[in-house]
Amino acid sequence: MTILDVLTAIQDSSLAHAISKTDHLVGAGLQIIHVLGLIFFLASLVLLSLRAVGWALADQPVAQVAKDTSRLLWVGLALTALSGTLMFIATPKLYYFNWAFALKMGLLVVAIVVQATLFRRVAQRAEPSLRFVRTSVGLSIACWFSVAMAGRMIGFV
Amino acid sequence: MSMLYAIAEQIESSGIGVAIAESRFAYPIIEGIHLIGLSVSVGLIFITDLRLLGLILKRIPVERVLHHLRPYVLGGFAAIFVSGTLLFWSSAARMLDSPAFVFKLLFIALAGINALVFELIVVPRRVPVGLGTLPRSFRFAGLASLTLWTLTIVCGRLIPYLPTWS
Repeated sequence: MTILDVLTAIQDSSLAHAISKTDHLVGAGLQIIHVLGLIFFLASLVLLSLRAVGWALADQPVAQVAKDTSRLLWVGLALTALSGTLMFIATPKLYYFNWAFALKMGLLVVAIVVQATLFRRVAQRAEPSLRFVRTSVGLSIACWFSVAMAGRMIGFV
Repeated sequence: MSMLYAIAEQIESSGIGVAIAESRFAYPIIEGIHLIGLSVSVGLIFITDLRLLGLILKRIPVERVLHHLRPYVLGGFAAIFVSGTLLFWSSAARMLDSPAFVFKLLFIALAGINALVFELIVVPRRVPVGLGTLPRSFRFAGLASLTLWTLTIVCGRLIPYLPTWS
């Protein structure tokens, strides 16, 4: 069974048909949820990053801001991941052969690795060095912005 | 209306408009900047609105949240405004044809009025509210902003999906 067989099977599934063959506004609705989820996620991350480098809310503990924004961050991530997965299921062959989609998925993996290794320590360590904080935060924001940019290009290439 | 169209067509066929529309990468890259700018600007506005509603950052006084986030909201807004203007430049007539686009502009205008009334009238008239229960006017402004910006995003994303006026 080749990857193309798998993609074809997904594209012919009843879930895929329910999304792609009902009404074009179902797809539009998923796109809207994807954007709103991204906004929630990125805004939480940007706020936490601004606090980590001391550019905003500098009198609040980093861990406190991390705790306060974590719910919005996870809700945003869940909305984007869920809507994104459903969009992929609807037309997997369209996405699989799209270079911007491949680039986005590659960048997403890099962003998650940066988040799990470097950024996590920024919020948890008691006194990380300023250079470590700035490097981690800068890398993390650059990765996630690149994911957004590559994602926006999928529809145009 | 026909005069508006004539102007729109002139904008679209100007040098910059044609350059953006014909370039393979300019349009999607500007779209990308628009998306990133709005996730910063509108995103931080959403966080401020949730604070006004008492749902997030509850341990930080409202005035501090407003004060600290304002420069980034305005900076992100500049990015959305410039990229949005360029996108409009390359497709002005098509945008006028789109009800979703016209409603998007309407919701932005209402959100702007709401923000101005809040910043210039509601906030200065009150003594600092800090961590206490927020006045109803604060909560109303937050709810209005949250609703209007959500509608703006929804309309913006619907532009390529909805039929034209006629």
